[in-house]
Amino acid sequence: MESNKKYWKGLEEYKNTPDFVENNKNEFAEPLPIEDVLSEAGLSTVTPRRDFLKALGFGLGAVTLAACQKAPVHKSIPYLIRPEEVVPGIPNYYVSTFKGSPVLVKTVVGRPIKIEVNPNGGMFSTGTDAQAQASVLDLYDVSKLKAPVLKKKETTWSEMDAFVKGELNKAQASGKKIRIVSSSLNSPSAKAVVADFASKYPTTKHVQYDAVSYTGIIKANENSFGKAVLPKYNFDKADLIVSFAADFLGTWISGEEFTAQYVSNRNHKSLEKKKMSRHFQFETGMSLTGTNADTRVPIKLSEEGPALIALYNAITGNNLAGAALPNNAYATKALKLVGAELLQNKGKALVVSGSNDVSTQILVNAINAAIGSYGTTIDLDNPCKRYEGNDAEFAELINEMNRGEVAAVFFLNSNPAYDATNAKAFTDALTKVALKVSFADRADETADLCDAVAITPNYLESWGDANTYEGYYSVVQPTINPVFNSRQAEQSLLIWSDAAVQDYYQYVRNNWEKTILPSVGKTWNELLQLGVVSSTAKAAGAYSFGMSLEAVVASISASSKALQKDIELHVYESIPMRDGKHANNAFLQELPDPVSKVTWDNYIALAPKQAEKLGYKEFDLITVKGENGYAVDLPLLIQPGQAMGTASVALGYGRVKVGKAGDNVGKNAFPFVTFNNGTLKYATTAKLSAAGGREELAQTQTHHSFEGRNIIRETSLKDFLKDPAAGSGNHHKHKVYDLWTTDKHEKLGNDWVMAIDLNACTGCGSCIVACNVENNIPVVGKDEVRKRREMHWLRIDRYYSFNDEKAGHEVTKEKEIAHMEDLDQVSVVHQPMLCQHCDHAPCETVCPVLATVHSSDGLNHMAYNRCVGTRYCANNCPYKVRRFNWFNYWNDSRFDNYLNNEFTQLVLNPDVTTRSRGVMEKCSMCIQRIQAGKLTAKMEKRALKDGDIKMACQQACSANAIIFGDKNDPNSEVAKALRSERIYYVLEEINVQPGIGYMTKVRNIDSETKEAHHA
Amino acid sequence: MSGHNESILREPLITGKDITYAKITDDILLPVENKPNKAWWIGFIISLCGATLWVVAVSYTFWFGIGAWGLNKTVGWAWDITGFVWWVGIGHAGTLISAVLLLFRQNWRNSINRSAEAMTIFAVICAATYVVSHMGRPWLAYWVLPLPNQFGSLWVNFNSPLVWDMFAISTYFSVSLLFWYTGLLPDIATIRDRAVGMRKKVYSILSFGWTGNVKTWQRFEAVSLILAGISTPLVLSVHTIVSMDFATSVIPGWHTTIFPPYFVAGAIFSGFAMVLTLLLVARKVLGLENYITMFHIESMNKIIILTGSIVGVAYLTEFFIAWYSGVEYEQYAFINRATGPYWWAYWMMMTCNVISPQLLWFKKIRTSIAATWILSIIVNIGMWFERFVIIVTSLHRDYLPSSWVMFYPTWVDVSVFVGSIGVFFTLFLLFLRVLPSIAIAEVKLLLKSASEQAKLELIKEGHLDKEQVNEYIESLDKFDSVKQEEYAKI
Repeated sequence: MESNKKYWKGLEEYKNTPDFVENNKNEFAEPLPIEDVLSEAGLSTVTPRRDFLKALGFGLGAVTLAACQKAPVHKSIPYLIRPEEVVPGIPNYYVSTFKGSPVLVKTVVGRPIKIEVNPNGGMFSTGTDAQAQASVLDLYDVSKLKAPVLKKKETTWSEMDAFVKGELNKAQASGKKIRIVSSSLNSPSAKAVVADFASKYPTTKHVQYDAVSYTGIIKANENSFGKAVLPKYNFDKADLIVSFAADFLGTWISGEEFTAQYVSNRNHKSLEKKKMSRHFQFETGMSLTGTNADTRVPIKLSEEGPALIALYNAITGNNLAGAALPNNAYATKALKLVGAELLQNKGKALVVSGSNDVSTQILVNAINAAIGSYGTTIDLDNPCKRYEGNDAEFAELINEMNRGEVAAVFFLNSNPAYDATNAKAFTDALTKVALKVSFADRADETADLCDAVAITPNYLESWGDANTYEGYYSVVQPTINPVFNSRQAEQSLLIWSDAAVQDYYQYVRNNWEKTILPSVGKTWNELLQLGVVSSTAKAAGAYSFGMSLEAVVASISASSKALQKDIELHVYESIPMRDGKHANNAFLQELPDPVSKVTWDNYIALAPKQAEKLGYKEFDLITVKGENGYAVDLPLLIQPGQAMGTASVALGYGRVKVGKAGDNVGKNAFPFVTFNNGTLKYATTAKLSAAGGREELAQTQTHHSFEGRNIIRETSLKDFLKDPAAGSGNHHKHKVYDLWTTDKHEKLGNDWVMAIDLNACTGCGSCIVACNVENNIPVVGKDEVRKRREMHWLRIDRYYSFNDEKAGHEVTKEKEIAHMEDLDQVSVVHQPMLCQHCDHAPCETVCPVLATVHSSDGLNHMAYNRCVGTRYCANNCPYKVRRFNWFNYWNDSRFDNYLNNEFTQLVLNPDVTTRSRGVMEKCSMCIQRIQAGKLTAKMEKRALKDGDIKMACQQACSANAIIFGDKNDPNSEVAKALRSERIYYVLEEINVQPGIGYMTKVRNIDSETKEAHHA
Repeated sequence: MSGHNESILREPLITGKDITYAKITDDILLPVENKPNKAWWIGFIISLCGATLWVVAVSYTFWFGIGAWGLNKTVGWAWDITGFVWWVGIGHAGTLISAVLLLFRQNWRNSINRSAEAMTIFAVICAATYVVSHMGRPWLAYWVLPLPNQFGSLWVNFNSPLVWDMFAISTYFSVSLLFWYTGLLPDIATIRDRAVGMRKKVYSILSFGWTGNVKTWQRFEAVSLILAGISTPLVLSVHTIVSMDFATSVIPGWHTTIFPPYFVAGAIFSGFAMVLTLLLVARKVLGLENYITMFHIESMNKIIILTGSIVGVAYLTEFFIAWYSGVEYEQYAFINRATGPYWWAYWMMMTCNVISPQLLWFKKIRTSIAATWILSIIVNIGMWFERFVIIVTSLHRDYLPSSWVMFYPTWVDVSVFVGSIGVFFTLFLLFLRVLPSIAIAEVKLLLKSASEQAKLELIKEGHLDKEQVNEYIESLDKFDSVKQEEYAKI
């Protein structure tokens, strides 16, 4: 039904006015000005002022709004065809070898970013040292040359080859000598290449020399047993270790390997079996090994020989002359005790000496033979091939060059212009050589003097192999294509000798398939997965010593006498810098010396009383003048434990052509080294005088005693055997009061904690570098360290205490130490300190913005993005482990140590964000690793297993001092460790409930030694 | 209050002869209604240089990062929070004078409350600048406010003393500002009524249409009382909360339950010292001797002895408790304060805060303008050192000796602090130029009852006890603004 109602829209319609009728015909009430606009008049109309302003306003506003969002420029280019196995975000691991130690290289989308332990490495590779950890940074070093250099100009490889070949042919035609100078070459393939080269150019000789030499031991073994080898030492088989200045836990031969061996007799597992080795250290400077010794006796360099003679006499009942230590009653008494104990431990003892003097080492051989070490703790039949250098050959090379007999010289992994003791003589002689070729990766001190620098890639870009021990082989495989236009030295040599196979990869493979692989029954592909192969070790034979020692003793006595003048100067390798080859590595420069905690410098170390006697204050600049007249000004470091009348200076510093991080850091100490009796001597003498002025060393720790606080808890083995909880304070627990008794958080799932064995930790510091690399921790430079702003998330606290003979107890308080007369009897303890992930974290309650909070799995999280930087958390942290980004360290030109360029930034771990200025950071317990471990388990549809997740620090630790895991799993390693009676928690009395348990330090000092102490 | 006679035993609060309401207005508005004199200009230019230095130093810090300061891994706060606590403490006198003394009907406050409150506001501004500038990322300072946000339901940490601080300081600032401005209304109206042209317009806007009728006055009194009531707890709470920044921590030397009362006393102590520092100069330069009299000065000095002694007792108590607790860390912290590498700072603090104020027991000293002024400066220095000692010497050697370090300030640290003093004085000098430095209306209240001339009239009337009159006249000896010959006749 149709409605007859009429609706109207307006009065106009109701009234039906003529206007309405007219307008109603059109669709729009008002005519659209289309015609006007389209007509020419419309287009040319002058825009009214208001419209203009509107348009302007809108336009400006729109543009402004659009500009507010900074459009990010993504430079990443996706893979067009994705390489097999490369998935962004998922790391790949490749086996390789660093300086003879098997490693695992972690790569992310084609960039190697972390060095880890190769689990197939066996006893020879349980951890990695600081150098290995830091070595990834060397790959991304901008100070390297980017192309081969010929006569100081960049060139191409073909021109280089033409030049070198031409010169080589001239050399051959002239019949003059060709020399390849390298540091010890333990690569079988490289050795084969050198041999091939020598067969093409028959006047070639391979001269091996090491900046820090072991010629003395090799020669001594040749002399004593007819085997010119560096033996394999078995510290794990020794119940009694006596070291004469051999820093075997640090720099001596194979520190990481020895650490693992040594600690296996001293760590919590060994102590559970009531077993702990005993270690005496007689040394001049305070070495890392010395800090770990049960009894450390400071002796002068000149006393080392007499001390060994005395020990020999004590063991064998002989009465060789020159055994007197007239001014060192403590050492005399200790030596008597050591002699007696060595006899009790025949076949289970080891005596080592760090000396490079042949006679001294022969005497050591005699002692070891007398106590039955050969075949047990020393193995001459499976020798170590890390060092094969011959000091005399290098000295002879200089003579040959001087005589004009050498036409061509090649430098492979060697830099004698810096590290030869007589560098001046060397460089002068070098000018007489027609062809000088360096295989360095940069224009270093030697390469700078060469005609041609045939730049070599980093080991992470190379093929190669290593033979560290007899029958123990590992492979070097590249993890990235050479970044610069470099070529491996071996390949260059192959090309220059017109070898049949000029591709070094093929060469290595052929060599392995021909010689090594068949003997171990493995294929090349298996090798690339394993990284290491070894044949069955030969049985270690027992060797007896039958020589007359008269000449030896005479030589030792003469050397000792020669040292008795001025100040006896001990030149040593420091743990961060070693021989200086990696001086441009900022991670190593900022790694504190494990003993002195000095970064970015070397110094002259004097005993506290010595400095007092000479009237010097700490950090005074001292002129050190060596026997040969070489003099440098070095800041003074007061080093407790340094023998009176001696001084120590570290090698490896003072490079001038290594790159922007390492140039002119410290002073070169190689010229102090002397050459006599056919070997290099690191014991010499020097005159000291005040240079005037003062230079503060950049130390990461400036207070060195623990003030009697129970943060360090230690006991003696004797007490430990009676009561495993001795010294741990676990018998006197107080009742714990808790504000949150009714509000307990239940920890379901995981509870991530750590246990740190103070008896295992040697303090070497490779964990610090591992942590730096893993977590993108910035290097801040010398000035910032001086301002106490180093960023290390993990540090190793080192405390000295002194045995007070009169009082009969340990003195740990600074004020009391200041009044002590005899500071020789130092004990040292190393305590790794990192975020304790407290369950009642004081940092968490004070953060105004909840930037640091607790997780359900026991971790203390740090949300960088939320942090506003009040620093209240760091103030309230009782452990002072929080680190603040005072500046934009990784991207501020004032801190250009290494990272302020896009190339070096490739070293950053993409799983860990870089922190901006104004943000707090600290140990995250490698949360990225925990997360990755959890995800892997989840993908594999299984529960997390103990050991699935390893912290970066834990992984690097050769001593396995750090145990990480889930406390909620009663069978986990860490849960077991935390049930040990030795466990204590640092500052547990303030009830912050830290998540890291420390095991007491146990020292194997029985009453007899104590008597020796009180002698 | 007015309308009845005050006891002759009470000392006069306004001195001078022939003081009328008009004269009070003229005297007090002298600097506001005239071109500034040379002394003002000299002071202002110096202050402005200081303020510029502050701008430079803070900009430098913002541009490069907090690393421009001397802080390090162990000492995370030093001059920044020292300065913050110092300024907040100084502010406390203003609130105490304006609120607590009002509630206690201490009429002498009327002459000094205006300047003291202004000082409070400027001091809190200086303190607040530290709150922002000490942050690593100051552009995110607003994150400490519990604002609705886009970060999910991300809230502030109500457990954190810094959040309490934020509430305490912002409440304190807003209440103080309100109280101050409310008190200013009748005086601004007075200026308005005497001004012409542009000035009249500005001041009439600022006076919020004050009419001066009885109802307005009644409401004014009521609001003042309410605001005084609100402010009074703030006198105690603000510094209590500031002290909790330290007291709730676990750091030996900070973790101390005595801190709240000790900080409040210290705050009032330093606040009164700063009031004296400012007013002794202002009084002289602006010729306000009749309104800010020796009685005021002496009264403030008495408060300084009291609070200074409380602070001294607190220092000793801390030491006793450290020993009595048997906690080695606590004991070491205090021994280290007195004998460690910062011993000089500790003894500076002890001398300035505990020993030197005791001189004020001598009437000669507490009624000497020069001595008082010097002592007020000494107290200010001492209170700065107190905060430095608490903050730096506690942090620099705490639990693990491996982390023990020294703190050395940089030029930026020093400039930010010196600059903040410049900012403070710049603001204060501007205040003297544009607003009455004494509450005109409130001082006028006292004229009929508590002024010297009113008392003189009373004496002349002759109904008073002779002995009391003599005592009164004797009490006038110390007044530098009283002409003694007048009384010789009586």
